[in-house]
Amino acid sequence: MIPIDKLSYYSNLRHVNAAEKFTFSMLSLTACIVSRSIVIALLILSVTGILNVCKGGLPLSVYIRLMRIPVVFLVSGTLAIYINISKTPLDAFAFPVGAYYITGSIRGLLKGTQLICTALSSVSCLYFLSLNTPMTDILNVLKRLHVPALILELMLLIYRYIFVIMHLASDITVSQNSRLGNIRLSTAGKSFAAMVSSVFIKSIRRSREIYDALEARCYDGTLQVLSEDYPIKLSEILCIAVFETLLYLMIIIGRLSGGIL
Amino acid sequence: MNQTKKTQEDPDILLKAENLRYTYEGEDSPALNGLSLTIKRGKKIACMGPNGSGKSTFFLCCNGIHRPESGTLYYNGRPIGYTKKELLSLRQKVGIVFQDPDRQLFSASIKQEISFGPLNLGCSEEVTRQKVSAVMKKLDITPYSHKPTHSLSGGQKKLVSIADILVMEPELIILDEPAAFLDPFYTETVHNIIRHITEQGITVMMATHDVNSAYLWADEVLMFHEGRLLKQGPPSKLFSDELLLKKTHLRPPMLLTIFRHLQSEGIISKEFSAPKNMEELKSYLSHQKNSGS
Repeated sequence: MIPIDKLSYYSNLRHVNAAEKFTFSMLSLTACIVSRSIVIALLILSVTGILNVCKGGLPLSVYIRLMRIPVVFLVSGTLAIYINISKTPLDAFAFPVGAYYITGSIRGLLKGTQLICTALSSVSCLYFLSLNTPMTDILNVLKRLHVPALILELMLLIYRYIFVIMHLASDITVSQNSRLGNIRLSTAGKSFAAMVSSVFIKSIRRSREIYDALEARCYDGTLQVLSEDYPIKLSEILCIAVFETLLYLMIIIGRLSGGIL
Repeated sequence: MNQTKKTQEDPDILLKAENLRYTYEGEDSPALNGLSLTIKRGKKIACMGPNGSGKSTFFLCCNGIHRPESGTLYYNGRPIGYTKKELLSLRQKVGIVFQDPDRQLFSASIKQEISFGPLNLGCSEEVTRQKVSAVMKKLDITPYSHKPTHSLSGGQKKLVSIADILVMEPELIILDEPAAFLDPFYTETVHNIIRHITEQGITVMMATHDVNSAYLWADEVLMFHEGRLLKQGPPSKLFSDELLLKKTHLRPPMLLTIFRHLQSEGIISKEFSAPKNMEELKSYLSHQKNSGS
């Protein structure tokens, strides 16, 4: 089982109504993206962090480890915004290298920081949803939102079969390793290719088999399943409403006063 | 096909196959090559025979997944039809528990997984909910029903795949090697469930390679060989047929071997017929001892 998937099943917030969690994370995400404000981003980042760790019971170390993944991408991506190479020095900093300067502008620094904060807090919103809500519950919410059945069914099958196919791949890799299939780079390449092709062939066969098995249970083209719902709590809704209103008020005030943060 | 040939006769016969032929796409040799057999209502039937002898193909024919190229399959005395409506009613009555649960379980949520069948049969959400929780309770799935499918053990997945079918309330349940890959605990659990199912009057057809459990469990054994039925009959009779066993690469059940040995040694009288289980053999022995002294 992929560790990140496992977390949602053990979260203390698992049995909170999925639509509430979905609304919270989507509204916060939108606020983040619309405002592009460092303050709003930091606010959301800390709130989702507190919710995940204190309310959801996710160990802080695990959460930090998960957040490190996007940070790596973000830093390497924004480096280009921070640093310029030009013949004239810019206002923030400048190191002369021969006839050129490695330099940056205050504007660029601000923009880069803004980008990192916004992206990180957007990721934290999505993490909040996925770390506390099992995939099947998210699908139920999407169904309620009238996302086309075809997309939902694909999501359902893909989600289920990620694990089956990963298991297949890891079984083959283990058996290759046990026969020294990865002892040299050249053999490792070959083994990997053989593994991928056999997983591909097997997954095609699997898809035929699952179709037969579905047909055996009167499959008629739509995957009809029961949806599970957890009761909506008024107090939770109230909290979400207050927080989101505050968030959007801040954005509006920020816009009106023309602040750049 | 001869539609006028009305099947008549024995109301005890639930399923009847006449000369079925089926070849998989891209294969040279047929998977079913003139298979004929009859299944009686309420019986426990063990299907035996080497891999590739046509058991699984026959099972898929039984609920209309595969359509035989020739030959007729009768269910309840009527040839099975392949219109959408007829298939729906056939598949409600004939359920298949596949060998590999990962081949059958498509949902990550156990409740959703089990609810698939009844909803397809047109049950309301309310009724489905009741049926699902009843079957989960019956098979003792409830304690782990909140877990995702991919985190279950092999035995737990097997129980869910049986629940999948039981919840549809079929008349005939087909289990394709239900004990494959299971540990002793779940093998026992699955066997208990199967016993329970047959007690409810549901006909059970089971593919197995285990002669010992087939001997103890089955009312009737179907011996498959190269896409045909080699022989059909009570286990004590079939497993005494040495030629048949040799042809199908099976060994006689332990119980029967011991019984035959005891008879040839003169410890048990030749008059006794083959014992159905260990208890019966024991009672023979004590009977013999009492009458001897």
